[in-house]
Amino acid sequence: MSSPAPRRTQELTIIAQDPSVRVNGNILTAQISIPAEELAPGPRGYRVQIVDYDSSTGVLHPPLEYRILEDGTYNDPFYREKNEVLLNDPQFHAQNVYAIIMRTLSRFEFALGRRVGWSFLGHQLQVAPHAFSDANAFYSKDDRALLFGYFPKADKPSVDNESEQENLVKDPQRCSWVFTCLSHDVIVHETTHALLDGLRRRYTDPSSPEQAGFHEGFADIVALLSIFSLPQVVNLIIDKHFIEKRKEGAKVVEDDPQLIDVESLRFEELRESLLTGLAEEIGNELDDDEMSGVRKGALRRSVKLTPAEYSMEKLIDPDQFDEPHLRGEVLVAAVMNAFLLVWVKRIRTLGSKTARDQRSHSDSPPAKPDNASPRYVDNIGPQEEISGFLSRARVVEEGAAVADYLLTMVIRALDYSPPTDLEFSDFLSAMLTADREIRPDDSKYRFRQTLLQSFEEYEIRPTSKTSGPEPGIWEPPTCALRYDRIRLDSMLRDPDEMFRFIWENRKELGLEENAYTRVISVRPSVRINPDDGFVLRETVAEYYQYLSLRALEVKHLGIKIPPDMRDDQEVRLYGGAALIFNEFGQLKFNVRNRLLNPRKQTSRLEHLWNSEGSQAFEVEDPSQKRFAEMHRIRYGTFPIDTDTEGDWEDGYAHEKIEEGLKEITAPEHQSFEEADEFVPSGQIDSP
Amino acid sequence: MTLRSYQVGFGDCFLLTFHYGTQRRHMLIDFGSTAKPKGAPKELMMMVAEDIRRHCENKLHVLVATHRHQDHIGGFATSSDPDKEGTGDIIRSCIPNVVIMPWTEDPKAETDAKHATTIEGKELALARNTLRDMEMVAASVTEEEKHLRFGYSLSEHLAFLGEDNLKNASAVKNLIAMGKASRALFVRYEEEPLDLESELPGVTVRVLGPPDLTQSEEIVSMRSKDAAQFWMLQAAAGSTGKAGKVNGNEKYVFDSAGPFRDAVPTAPHLAPPHTRWFIRRMNAIRGSQLLRLVRVLDNVMNNTSVILLIEVGGRKLLFPGDAQIENWNYALSKPDVVERLKDVDVYKVGHHGSRNANPLSVWHGFKKKRSNKPGGAVLQTFMSTMAGKHPGGHNPKDPHTEVPRESLVEALKKETDHFSTQMLDSENVFKEFEIKLDSP
Repeated sequence: MSSPAPRRTQELTIIAQDPSVRVNGNILTAQISIPAEELAPGPRGYRVQIVDYDSSTGVLHPPLEYRILEDGTYNDPFYREKNEVLLNDPQFHAQNVYAIIMRTLSRFEFALGRRVGWSFLGHQLQVAPHAFSDANAFYSKDDRALLFGYFPKADKPSVDNESEQENLVKDPQRCSWVFTCLSHDVIVHETTHALLDGLRRRYTDPSSPEQAGFHEGFADIVALLSIFSLPQVVNLIIDKHFIEKRKEGAKVVEDDPQLIDVESLRFEELRESLLTGLAEEIGNELDDDEMSGVRKGALRRSVKLTPAEYSMEKLIDPDQFDEPHLRGEVLVAAVMNAFLLVWVKRIRTLGSKTARDQRSHSDSPPAKPDNASPRYVDNIGPQEEISGFLSRARVVEEGAAVADYLLTMVIRALDYSPPTDLEFSDFLSAMLTADREIRPDDSKYRFRQTLLQSFEEYEIRPTSKTSGPEPGIWEPPTCALRYDRIRLDSMLRDPDEMFRFIWENRKELGLEENAYTRVISVRPSVRINPDDGFVLRETVAEYYQYLSLRALEVKHLGIKIPPDMRDDQEVRLYGGAALIFNEFGQLKFNVRNRLLNPRKQTSRLEHLWNSEGSQAFEVEDPSQKRFAEMHRIRYGTFPIDTDTEGDWEDGYAHEKIEEGLKEITAPEHQSFEEADEFVPSGQIDSP
Repeated sequence: MTLRSYQVGFGDCFLLTFHYGTQRRHMLIDFGSTAKPKGAPKELMMMVAEDIRRHCENKLHVLVATHRHQDHIGGFATSSDPDKEGTGDIIRSCIPNVVIMPWTEDPKAETDAKHATTIEGKELALARNTLRDMEMVAASVTEEEKHLRFGYSLSEHLAFLGEDNLKNASAVKNLIAMGKASRALFVRYEEEPLDLESELPGVTVRVLGPPDLTQSEEIVSMRSKDAAQFWMLQAAAGSTGKAGKVNGNEKYVFDSAGPFRDAVPTAPHLAPPHTRWFIRRMNAIRGSQLLRLVRVLDNVMNNTSVILLIEVGGRKLLFPGDAQIENWNYALSKPDVVERLKDVDVYKVGHHGSRNANPLSVWHGFKKKRSNKPGGAVLQTFMSTMAGKHPGGHNPKDPHTEVPRESLVEALKKETDHFSTQMLDSENVFKEFEIKLDSP
């Protein structure tokens, strides 16, 4: 008798959004499907380890251990549990965090068609669900960890209410606690930072405001789309914002609440109801009046930033969106706007039924030609008005499906994005190209066209200026490349062989010969076209270049330096490319940022110098510090360290340097060989 | 006039004496300490207090408490024993005519706020509540720090900053009482000098800081709300893990450790092996979070410092307390202030020689530095400090934080006539300097 085949998935209960989102007073939960694995108590899996240590109290909570059922899966101990248990049992918190992280990880692996590693040496990410008493949660690469804080929900400190304040919280039962580890969007957001850091390590280097804002923006996008891909959440929002708050004059079928009045599905109304609804739901837990000490303020702002508002804001203050964290919000707004556009288009192509017909007709088939008049629906002639109802279940399903696909698109785009000095226009081209490669026929959803349109409304145009039926996609390389001395098979797996290929073809690929070059990764990927089941095999390689020069030398390369920058100021330049090979080892795309690109480097230097001064080029690796700082700003937690005065030494050392400079020979005589061979500490090359 | 710099270890205490013919009038600027120098007698502070009383013949005319840190006002604390005289009692017995403190200390602000209808009133109240929350944070940090086993330097940092910020209830109370008994001035930046004619005729005393809410961009509406919120959240968060009341403040009371009842702290050596590395790392993270918090706290407190510019007999003396650049910014935005600061003759070094409290912009403005060849007396600088109290520099992530800062001290020695209490040997409780004035 053989044992049953091991199950591939495991079902576990999580909180759908966060404890404030409830249905009939019960916290909204969902049972999600994650990859099954052999778990040690913790739970500790092969990628994620929960260590429930609280550094504020010194408590190490006992690990969660699962019981094995007959069919080989684990029992879900928190299925349909009451609020009290969900809120107060630290073991549920451990499960919540574990499951959501694993779900996010598996989404990434599905989208990219391969395993996705962490950016540190090690396979397991440590996670502390109750790390400290603080309204904060963050990813720490050095500690290989995700840390989630918690804090007591302080009642409002009304100054007129001194006496009430004295009664405050004498009873711990009365005090309620806010756990960031129970916020779905926070967990996904932080996990995404960790994953993105593993995929594109150099995005934390000092660069443009867009790169600085990208980590946060991208993490928010993944968080929002992840939540939207849960039908329970979409259902709840539709409930609250259609059924309960239906507009004046909207029709309702009294005896069947499963139908939605299609009139209310015009674009603007849909946007207002759905996105605002979502924004409200994610805002609740930690927003009271102005008390938005946590990042949800940012999510809500992005979600509410319509193209019209964006234009208006820009008129008022053209520079405001140049700040990194606001820039990130614009990216989120553009993607969410596209999401809505696609969803509405999809719903419009669905059949609509009148109240009379609801029971006799099945759902209309999808995939109508795009330019079909919206008035054409099954069994109803073109002359008939769209008045009537749509199956709510179908609307929700479509929404979840669109969110899910867009999420995949957004993650895939990472492989097609340059590894250094990213700009949003690059990311847009990357999204379009990645999608086109896997799914050439976009007629059903028109994702690519909609993305272009949506980004255009936020003034982001693709880097690639190709036109034609697929505008904005990366162009294939035009140069002839040499493969004769390369072992192809090895190249598609081994960074050294890959580097050999790159070096052999350095002129064709446009490398800066005098810079330090390193292949960061060589990764095979296997993706499936959802429409026809055909397999797309690619190899994605990343290399980057680094050069450290004095400002004076940089000037001679055609890159302008800021007027008040001293000639001896050390300046670091980065460049690099993502190389995409097909299954035969031929180079399909060379997504490159040239190290000595005058335009890019000029604006990068200007931006860094104005925002951080010489600190941006400090010897100690500032990337992690910047990352943490950006995060703090996003969390909106006052106060922000701004150490702009400089040090006493700077003031005095300056004069010495002036004297010293006069002794240095003219820069023309110095060669680039003297550039440092510095390996930024973001690379952990040896244990 | 004379200036006495008292040896209080890590702290400030300066006594200015103005000679009017045979009469003398005295101004005491700060009296506090967080650490005595090595080898100093246990009753050092008492000795200082008694010397002050003796020297001013039981009469102080003006008393200045620049800000509420312990190393500036600790000495004003009174004795809890009614039969024994504490240092604060001694000072009080000199019955100062005027007590000068920053506006943030004004007790009236709190009561006004209850009925505040104006924005300013509400802001004041916010600031007061914030101060209280900040104290709570300082207290809880020192508590939390005890169970986290940090490396030496981190603990030192925390302790140094935390202690300094704890509520100096007795001192504050005494100061307020002394002010009530005579005249209390809760000051902010003013265009016009203070009215101290009756106490110190011929002496012009200008207040260059702190700015108040309406003056400072930094503390405008939104940000003060942010600040208040932040401290409140921190105070709430910091009160976990404590049993019972925190530091006498009944605002938050928990009878269990954190949000989970029955949770018991774990001894690190008993934690499962696979968790130990991580636990150590987490404790370190927590430590640096706390440190950052207290640093901010420290900065904010320092920035409540009163900055005084004293002009007498053609000489200018600058006493900035521990003011940092944020405090200075408002004053430095006024061209006439900048002008006035150029020919300062005497400068008391801020925050015992720390980097932050001696803004470069102010330093660069002084025209009487040696290298400027002023053609008269060179700038005189006074520093009241102690090395080793705040060694800093051990933590590679924190390279410039030792107090006193070496490069600063070098600059002072090179460019000015510099005196530091570190130069006093253990027998001397003070050193007196004569400041030559132009004859009237």
